[in-house]
Amino acid sequence: MVKHTITQGQIVEEVYLNQSNLDITFTQQEGSTLRLFVVDIQGGQYANHIVVEQAATDCTTEIYHLAYLTDNDKATTHTNVRHLVGGGTSNQLIKFILGGKAKGEFLGELYIAPDAQKTEAHQTNRNLLLSSTAEVRTRPQLEIYADDVKATHGASTGQMDESALFYMQQRCLDENTARRLLLGAFMKDVIEPISDQNKREELLETIDRIIQ
Amino acid sequence: MNLLEIKDLHASIAGKEILRGVNLSVEAGTVHAIMGPNGAGKSTLSAVLTGNPLYEVTAGEIYLRGKNLLTMPPEQRAREGVFLSFQYPVEIPGVSMVNFMRTALNEKRQYQGLQPLSSTEFLRLMRDKRKLVGLADKLQNRSVNEGFSGGEKKKNEIFQMAMLEPCLSILDETDSGLDIDALRIVAEGVNQLRTADNASIVITHYQRLLDYIVPDYVHVLADGQIVKTGGKELALELEDKGYEWLSTQ
Ligand SMILES: Nc1ncnc2c1ncn2[C@@H]1O[C@H](COP(=O)(O)OP(=O)(O)OP(=O)(O)O)[C@@H](O)[C@H]1O
Ligand SMILES: [Mg+2]
Repeated sequence: MVKHTITQGQIVEEVYLNQSNLDITFTQQEGSTLRLFVVDIQGGQYANHIVVEQAATDCTTEIYHLAYLTDNDKATTHTNVRHLVGGGTSNQLIKFILGGKAKGEFLGELYIAPDAQKTEAHQTNRNLLLSSTAEVRTRPQLEIYADDVKATHGASTGQMDESALFYMQQRCLDENTARRLLLGAFMKDVIEPISDQNKREELLETIDRIIQ
Repeated sequence: MNLLEIKDLHASIAGKEILRGVNLSVEAGTVHAIMGPNGAGKSTLSAVLTGNPLYEVTAGEIYLRGKNLLTMPPEQRAREGVFLSFQYPVEIPGVSMVNFMRTALNEKRQYQGLQPLSSTEFLRLMRDKRKLVGLADKLQNRSVNEGFSGGEKKKNEIFQMAMLEPCLSILDETDSGLDIDALRIVAEGVNQLRTADNASIVITHYQRLLDYIVPDYVHVLADGQIVKTGGKELALELEDKGYEWLSTQ
């Protein structure tokens, strides 16, 4: 396990691409910001374990995760966001795209300590199934011990929008191009918040190559 | 050779027969209006013409400039010049109008053996065509149809038609949802796009649109068949008498 401390007021943005079996813990000091992008598009069998601890007040945590799984891939991503002190914010956007017989699982632990008042914590999980044999499971685990907090979580799983596909084909796009555009659209909000333009564009190109 | 030839077309959805022997010939340079009661099969006809996979063609033939449409996938029909202005345009979150239109146009150009447009050429074309149909600038930076008002969606359809310059455009209730000014602007746009080589099929419930887009023929589709064909005066007669008298003939 790798441990990082983000010191007072520091702003850290990390992009992890295809680092299957990521096992990492961040501890945030006062007023710090962590923006974490975990993008796994190469598939395979892996389990990610991501722990973020807000150890002081006024911290911001953003976790973006994209997993692209096909064939017999099997992956789990476990996030554990721990608000030990109040006045912090956390946002998680977790997206799985699954084709073939792939299996995906998101385990989203959220802990808000008894005195961590004025915490705001959001967790969103959206999944796209490209085949009827792919499976995805979402397990949110919320432990909230403070009362003056805002905490939300939501999960949804859907399929490629057939009416959108037909609409695009009616506009001269072949089915593959249309599917690729829709996939890109689904991934977009996980990638676009990356502030480093070079990294973002490099990643978009990598993704484009993989989903051909 | 007629631009479009539909012969004894039968089609069903979910095992239910909707079109029950449609015959229609459309010559280049003409406008055909199709009217008819709700549920008659008008949108079904446009879906079948464009190759919507939800519908099954059980009998009949469709030829566009002599080419068999029924064996072509939807995108090939589109590239051959069939355009449908959808009764209910689809929202596509995350796909920008600009990117979508550029891809669409270049796919069509490639099919025609033409070079893709340069960025400048493309943007200029977008601007010109937007003006033609009075589509607000701000909409082009949004996702396709996402959050567009009903009228904006309809304008956006005609804008795309202007971009793609189809030889056969099917307008499925393009007038519904448009305010009076927008109706006139859109109709003028459609009229400006008319040439001697293309044709339109205009599906509508209201005579008003046909004051602007004057049809050469008016057909009544009822119960999956064209039960009457006339000139533009037929639309007025229908406005007056409804459809009842036709089914009892
Ligand atoms: N998925 C479906 N399953 C069964 N019936 C369907 C399905 N989709 C459409 N239909 C039926 O097909 C018939 C023809 O519908 P269509 O949309 O072509 O009518 P229309 O003439 O365009 O009507 P409107 O004027 O209301 O737009 C209707 O009776 C409709 O209920
Ligand atoms: Mg209809």
